[in-house]
Amino acid sequence: MSITFARSRQSTTVMCVFTALAVAAAFLGGSPFSSAADTADGDFSKETLEVMIPLAEGGGTDTWARFVGQELAPRVTGGPGFSPVNEPGGEGITGSNQFARRAPADGTHLLVSTATSVVPWVLGRSEVNYDFAQMTPVVVNGTGGAIYARKAAGVEGLRDLVDREAPLTFGGISATGLDLTTLVAFDVLGVEQRSIFGFEGRGPVNLAVQRGEVDLDYQTTSAWEPSVGPLLQNGSVVPLVSFGQLDEDGDVVRDANFPDLPTVAEAYEELYGEAPSGPAWEAYTALLGVTYTYQKGLWVPGETTEGASESLRQAADDLSRDKAFNDKAAEVLGGYPLVADDGVKERVAEAYAVDDSVRDYILSLLRDTYDIHLG
Amino acid sequence: MTEAALSALGSLADPSMLLMLMAGVLAGLIIGLIPGLGGTAAMAILLPLTFGMEPAAALAMLIGALAVVHTSDTVATVLLGAPGSASASVTLLDGYPMARAGQAKRALGLAFLSSMVGGVIGAIGLTIAIPLVRPLVLSFGSPELFMLTVLGISMAAVLSRGNAVKGLVAAALGLLLGMVGTAPTTAEYRFTFGSMLLADGLSLVAVALGAFGLAEIASRAGQKKSNEAPVSLSGGWMAGIREWLSHWTQVIRGSLVGIWAGILPGIGATAGTWLAYGQAVATAKDKSKFGKGDPRGVVGPESANSSIAAGDLIPTLMFGIPGSVPAAMLLGMLLTNGIQAGPSIVTDHLDLMYLIIWSFAIASVVGALLCFVSSKGLARITTVSFSVLGPGLLAIMMLGAYQGSLQVGDLWIMLVLGALGWLLKSTGFPRAPFLIGFVLAVPLERYYFLTDRVYAPSDWLTRPYVLVFIAILAVPALLALRRRFRKDVPAEQDAPPAASAEADGPLADSVWSLTTSVGLLAVFVVAFFLAGSFSDEGRLVPQLVAGVGIALAALLVAREWKGGSFAPPRPERDPEFHADEAIVPTSGTTLVQTPSTVTRWPVVTPMVRNSARTFAWMTVFVVLATLFGYVPALLFFLPAFLLYVAGTRPRTATIYTAVMVSIIAVVPVFLPIHLPGGIFVG
Repeated sequence: MSITFARSRQSTTVMCVFTALAVAAAFLGGSPFSSAADTADGDFSKETLEVMIPLAEGGGTDTWARFVGQELAPRVTGGPGFSPVNEPGGEGITGSNQFARRAPADGTHLLVSTATSVVPWVLGRSEVNYDFAQMTPVVVNGTGGAIYARKAAGVEGLRDLVDREAPLTFGGISATGLDLTTLVAFDVLGVEQRSIFGFEGRGPVNLAVQRGEVDLDYQTTSAWEPSVGPLLQNGSVVPLVSFGQLDEDGDVVRDANFPDLPTVAEAYEELYGEAPSGPAWEAYTALLGVTYTYQKGLWVPGETTEGASESLRQAADDLSRDKAFNDKAAEVLGGYPLVADDGVKERVAEAYAVDDSVRDYILSLLRDTYDIHLG
Repeated sequence: MTEAALSALGSLADPSMLLMLMAGVLAGLIIGLIPGLGGTAAMAILLPLTFGMEPAAALAMLIGALAVVHTSDTVATVLLGAPGSASASVTLLDGYPMARAGQAKRALGLAFLSSMVGGVIGAIGLTIAIPLVRPLVLSFGSPELFMLTVLGISMAAVLSRGNAVKGLVAAALGLLLGMVGTAPTTAEYRFTFGSMLLADGLSLVAVALGAFGLAEIASRAGQKKSNEAPVSLSGGWMAGIREWLSHWTQVIRGSLVGIWAGILPGIGATAGTWLAYGQAVATAKDKSKFGKGDPRGVVGPESANSSIAAGDLIPTLMFGIPGSVPAAMLLGMLLTNGIQAGPSIVTDHLDLMYLIIWSFAIASVVGALLCFVSSKGLARITTVSFSVLGPGLLAIMMLGAYQGSLQVGDLWIMLVLGALGWLLKSTGFPRAPFLIGFVLAVPLERYYFLTDRVYAPSDWLTRPYVLVFIAILAVPALLALRRRFRKDVPAEQDAPPAASAEADGPLADSVWSLTTSVGLLAVFVVAFFLAGSFSDEGRLVPQLVAGVGIALAALLVAREWKGGSFAPPRPERDPEFHADEAIVPTSGTTLVQTPSTVTRWPVVTPMVRNSARTFAWMTVFVVLATLFGYVPALLFFLPAFLLYVAGTRPRTATIYTAVMVSIIAVVPVFLPIHLPGGIFVG
């Protein structure tokens, strides 16, 4: 009996020691190692840039953020470290919400934005607690894209998109994602189409076009050459219209990566003989800005001191002008330069100031045409 | 082409390249050993190391790791019943019973040899696929993919022979759980109850590890006495190879199914491995041993899961369409090196393609050989009492599952799924159909809607491959019917129960299984009404599944009711009940002493009590981890469980805890492994 007694006493001692350790570890874990960073003077020495990537590892945005962040950090004054943090979940909403709630406004924490997390914000979904209109951009990077169609569906040019006997089939992923911009473009142009949602990605839609299951598709610039290039060569599809880019005045201009394709604005003029206008067009230009021209970006909280955010922006501006970087980054940037000049803040703020009227138009388009009821 | 192939092989002869490949293999093997960590973790850990490397060297390392993670993930699956990855849960079905019967070494040997050849066949498939992949992928449209998912779900019936109703109810439950999250076609949230954690759906790793791994810990960690058959370590390597050779057709078939499942985007490794298992069962003449330790049930899926990893690379490289998360990460790595995946990769980077193929083949062989020669040592782990292994295993599994989403909520999902898995297992619901339903829920719905939108029924139902699938589905059913009419033999005798090892739960045919059936019926009814608030398109499939679930669960309840399941569990079903042990009265139970007269346990049997206690401890652990972080939770949970549940000596508990905690606390400093932080500590 005495042995068991001794053993149980020993057990109690072991438990007490470990519990004390546990308590100590719990307190140490929360120790204020991360005291507020002193970056107001723009000097980031001994700091770490923590970049919140609200998506899973792998995929275009994650690759972009890691690549740009890694190159950017050493160029910032003081040479801070770089620590990417993936917080996947809720299609980018969870991580972005967490950033809005927790990130200190000292420039050491940056958020990556992409169409996945921007569109729910544009739509004003109730789950979204972050607001790009209240954040400051450090650097933005655009993308572009173009719409093409299958010739066998009877499409040779722009005019075959309208006044059709039977609608064309458009392959989509989800009406509330990046596809939204395309849907609004269709609405602007009066394309007669029937959308099928549920594809897993643009790659599978491209395959569906090749199988003849889908007639209309769009691809972003980086995917255009590998996925549409071979089809253009064998003559099975025809390129129709590019989304275009917003210029510094907020007008839609040709995309340097699709120099021979008309933009949505030009296509409208060709079809209807006048420049596009009205709520659908307003919505299109707003969406073009936030989902293409200024699609990917690194942001700091709006309250960040000017010194810290300017220091970051200038480093990004240097990076964007570095030829060695641009050569190395050609594939990752997908043919669009990093933009961080001193006017970027203003232009982005303009693009991200989405009017309520635009929001209302989009919500009613989704409701009336696609039977999707939001908010 | 041969020239490019040979020059790629030549480049691997360079010692520094070979070193990278071997480093990748070793890292992959170690990561695979840890339950919950698989290809994704391997890529996440190795990718940062490849920055600044030559693309060829980086590829050799990454492919080396990817090729072998599914080789070593068999170890925990077979030895501990804790699936090393979601797809390894297939091997668990037959591998684990073999290990529990003392044949751990045999099971591991078969699995490793199959992985090796599966990987090599996968690499060959990758080579052949280069010119063929385009017609192959294009011939499989939405209707074919839809039929493939239907075929997969119909396997639920195959895998629960003799207990078809329970199997189908489990499959319906899996389908329903798989529908939690964002609907594939309407982008609305379903069954998420406003939680952003659920918006992405339940994590597959958390579900698989919970339903199999935690359930196993719960049912075994509480028992102090091991009643396993002693581990047999006899038999040379040659004997193992000879036995494996006798299953060579299974190896080929499994590998081919694997490559095919890998090539098709949207099927996934877990469903592909199930398909390989399903074909092994469906085509076997004697099905009676499946689920009880049939070697074919190990060989088929193990060949498949290696070749899936190779098949997966085909759409990734040729179309830039990644079939899995690790493949997506590989794509990102190529992109940062200025290599764009797509059809032109064959012309622009043929040397890299061959480098990938050779690396994959060499890594598969080396990795499997390393495992094969160490299988004897590994098998010894089964001699350690499960109550000692359990807490450490729990800590590792939960940490593994956490890496996927980095959300503490996943630990809770795992815990709940662990309880569900334990209940299903104990009351005789087969869990294989449950997991199949879970992984196929989204593809089923997606491809149904795509098929329905794109084609008229008369169009898609007459497509040649669809007709082949219909034949595969219908012919066995018709044959069975014909046999039934000809011979007038009851169907049960005709088809002996296949998964009966799992089907005979210790709590089956008792008040426990009755309550479970009623509970599941309630779940289906609630789901049916909740689905009423979705959009028309969003509610169709959930209501269909819930409706079928209601009908089947009602049938089950009626059956249990009639069968007199109000009674407590029967002791002879209980694995812990032994005739010779019954003489010793278990304290607190009213067990009659001689086995011949024992007919019923008390409602709360010793096994239930042990499991409940283990679950209570696990809950304490998750609560502590949620509030105070992972390391403090471990510092309390590990010694407490070891001292008061496992009854180890204080010295053992101290060393065990110190080693475990040190490793877990230090690893995140060097590798991108994250620990749950805790609300109060942030």
